[in-house]
Formats: sequence, C-alpha cells, structure tokens
Amino acid sequence: MDIPILKIEDFLVVTIQSELSDDEISKLQEDILLRIKDVGATGLIIDITALDIVDSFMGRTLSNVAATAELLGAKTVVVGIRPAVAVTLVELGIRVKWNVNTALNLERGRKLLKQLIGAEQRGGVS
Amino acid sequence: MSEDEEMTKVNIASSADIIAARGKGRELAMKMGFNVVDQTKITTAISELTRNIVTYAGKGEVTIEKAQSETGDKNGIVVVCVDEGPGIKDIGLVLKGGVSTSGSLGLGLSGAKQLMDEFEIKSKPGEGTIITIKKWLRRR
Amino acid sequence: MSQNLERELSALFEDHADQLKGQWITEMRESGLLEQMSDVETEARYTALYNTVVSTFRTGEFEDVEKYAKIITEEAVMHDMSVERIIGGILKLRDIYERFIFSKYRDDEEKLYQLLDSYEPIANNILTIVTMAFVEERERVIHEQQRAMMSLSTPVLQIREEILVLPLIGTVDSERAEQILEELLDRIVEVEASVVIIDLTGVPIIDSLVANHMIKTVHAAKMLGADTIITGISPANAQTLAGLGIDISMLITKNNLRAGLWHADKMLGFKVRIEDR
Repeated sequence: MDIPILKIEDFLVVTIQSELSDDEISKLQEDILLRIKDVGATGLIIDITALDIVDSFMGRTLSNVAATAELLGAKTVVVGIRPAVAVTLVELGIRVKWNVNTALNLERGRKLLKQLIGAEQRGGVS
Repeated sequence: MSEDEEMTKVNIASSADIIAARGKGRELAMKMGFNVVDQTKITTAISELTRNIVTYAGKGEVTIEKAQSETGDKNGIVVVCVDEGPGIKDIGLVLKGGVSTSGSLGLGLSGAKQLMDEFEIKSKPGEGTIITIKKWLRRR
Repeated sequence: MSQNLERELSALFEDHADQLKGQWITEMRESGLLEQMSDVETEARYTALYNTVVSTFRTGEFEDVEKYAKIITEEAVMHDMSVERIIGGILKLRDIYERFIFSKYRDDEEKLYQLLDSYEPIANNILTIVTMAFVEERERVIHEQQRAMMSLSTPVLQIREEILVLPLIGTVDSERAEQILEELLDRIVEVEASVVIIDLTGVPIIDSLVANHMIKTVHAAKMLGADTIITGISPANAQTLAGLGIDISMLITKNNLRAGLWHADKMLGFKVRIEDR
C-alpha cells in the first residue's frame, strides 16, 4: 500500500490511515526522507489519528524519522495521538527516550512547526 | 475449539501475524467490556510480546482467552506467548528495561509488564520462553 | 456418633420452637433490638431465621445460613442498621440455646458436655458467617461510595479558551490517579486545550506515587500537545519531593493558582490588561 505524502507550502504531510506492517513502515520511512530531500521541505507532519495502537517499535520508528529529518533540515511534528494511545505510551516507559514534537491536530501541528522553524531562524540570525 | 470458549490461538512468524494477534486481542477485550484505555494497553502488550517472538525466536504462538482470578471475584483476559527460541539469560536485567542486544527487548518486556496487572515469565537459555500476562476488568 | 448428637440438638430446638423463639423475641425486644419493626414482620423474619438455624444443625450444611446472611446484611446495610442489631440477635439465640441445653441436661453431666461440644462449633460458625457477611457488605458499600465521591471531586474546568484547570482535592491513590489522567486527556481533546494547570493546594501529602503520576500526566498531556503547569505544592511537600530524589526539573511549577494562570496566559500570548474604570 502506497501512503501519499502531500506537500503543503514548505511542509510535507503524511497521513497514516491504517496499521502498517514492518515492511510498509520501512518503505514509508525511506519515501519520506527522499521527498524531504527532493522538495527541500523545512517541516514534516505525521498524522496518526487513525492509529488505535502505537507500540514501542512504532514509537521508535517515529522518533528515528524525526531525528533523520532533522539532519536533512526538516522539523517533525507528530499529530493526532489518541488519549488511550498517549496513556499507553507513557506506561510503556517510552518517554525516557522520546523527544518527538507533538500537537493535537493538523492545524496545531502547522502552528507548532512555524514556531519551531521561526525560533531556529531567529536564533540563526543573531 | 468452540465459539463460547472464547479462545484464540495465533501462530507468530512474521510482522503480519503481530497485527493479526493484536486484532484478536482487541476484539476479545472489547467484547468483554474493557474500556478504550485498557483495550489499548492489552493490544499494545500483545504487540510487544509477539514482536519479541518474531525478533528473537523467529516463530512461536500466542493464545488469548478469558480468565478468572483464583478467588473468583475478578474477570479478565489472559495472554500466553510461547516460543522455543534462545531464551533469556538475565530476566531481572531485561525486566528493569535495561539493555538487550537489539536495544528493544528491554522496553518490550518491561513495557508489557507495566501495561498489565499480572506478568509471569519462564525462560531457560536454549529452551525457549513462556510469558503469561493478565489484565482484570475494573470494578465499576 | 457426633452426627446423632447434632440431630438430637436440632430435634430439641424444633420441639421447643415456640417456647425458645418466643423467649428470643422477648429478649430482643427488651434490649431494643426490634425497634421500628411491626409484630408481623418480627414474627415472619425471626421464624425464618430460627428455621434456618435449626436446619443447619440437622444437616450440618451452612449453605442456607450463608444465603440468609447475604440477604439480611444487604438489607441491614442499606437501611443503616447497627452491628448490634444484626449480630446481637444471633448472639442472643446462641445464649438461649445454650441455657436451654444446660437446664435440660443439668443432671446428666456426661451427656451435657457431649452436646455442648457439638453445639458450640456450629453455633460459632453461624455467628462467624453472619459477621463476615456484614463486614463484607459494608466494605463493598464503602468502596462504592468512595468511587462516587472520587468522580465528584475531580472536575476538569475550562476557564479560558485553550486552558484547563484541574484542582485536586484529597488523597490520590493509583486507581484515582489513573481515572483522573484518562478524564483529563479526553477533556484536552474535547476543548482543544493547549495548557493544563494542575493545582495541588488541596492535596495534603505528595509522596513518590503521586509525584510519579504527576510526571506521567505531564508526559501524556504533552503527547496531545498540551503543556502542564503544576501549582500549589506546599513547602513541606516540596521538601518531601526533594528528599525522595524525584526529578521534577522538567515540570513547570508555580507558587499558586494565580501565578499559574498568569504563566499560562503568557505562554498562549494573551495579554491581561486592567482597564481604567
């Protein structure tokens, strides 16, 4: 299954619509990073509203994508984590290593990305 | 295996089987009346344990069914994961969420333990691992 | 042998049922155990209990007593009856039987002791069953009431767009903390909150359990995009936390709810201005 990666302004938006197998996850990971490089995106939003479970493997994958995207010059925000998934991730103990930016929904995610990028640019000028 | 026994067995050999096992777990948990948070915790615990099977043992099986506490005052769900893989040498260390060769076993086991009410592990190096986890319905 | 004794006892109690039951009811009435109960009700209720006890001696099975105990204690707890009233009645019957056995076999000492030996364990067992049923029923009701109080005492208030306030009052155990966390997260999604203020002014003791739940809550809220401000930690509790060695450096803490609100407004870019009047 191909997962569409949309470009909105300078951002890429990926909406995960169903549970993914490991192969699909690694392919998506690859596709995202290639697209970031291709279009010179400064931001990436991953929408996981449709996921009713995020295990430690998926959690680590999201964290890896964010770290790699950062190296390519793009900030990442994960949006749409459900309350039950948030409780579970915290119980799993994933917070120890999880440094992924998060926002409630797409709109908030875009707002947060703009803030993150703006802060970096201001920091770079001074 | 009859319908009303509510017992499901899934053979685990690939990541597609992990998704199948999760689906079965969620289905039974929902049917038994677990709330959404507990459904998610149970499903995630199944995901962690079955992934360990795929990663370390290659194959194994998981059974999911209804459970009752010994005193008979609590109902819940029990998940048993069995493999004949390499086993675990230092269970204590792994359960602390500490190191493992792939860097993921620790979080998987200790995570599954955190998410459930009961956790029991039997493992011998070279002979495989049996992990039993349970979660009880909350009194409402 | 001993079964014969028990059968003898039950026959004895059955043959003298009218006399013993009458004496029992009179004694209870004198001790004020039967207030607010009509004569008809009293007669019906204690005849049933009397027969249950007699049949227990006859069969040696305690199932009927257990059933009876469950029904009577449920009723008793619901109507807020006292312990004396439930247990007192059984105690009185025990004494009446014992006195009756004494008076009947006073001249045959050997027989008397044999009968008492088989009487006492059964009588005590009946008493234990009823007492335990009463205690269990009370505990069940207390637990239920605690749950009801819990949900009443943890309101999640929306005080401005994007700001939620959760004033915690009373002690927090694991079960309650879990419930609060789940409710809070649902509310964050519902009102699209960006900042949550948890006020601990009403929490007398913050131990490591509460602190760890607090930290979990902060992380989970953050995953939904909401920052958390903790307010109202008393100096004593702050000292405890420092002593426990729990890392709270990642928490935003403010002295009181007012300071917390001020900070929340600042985070959201609100400016509070006092207008000239």
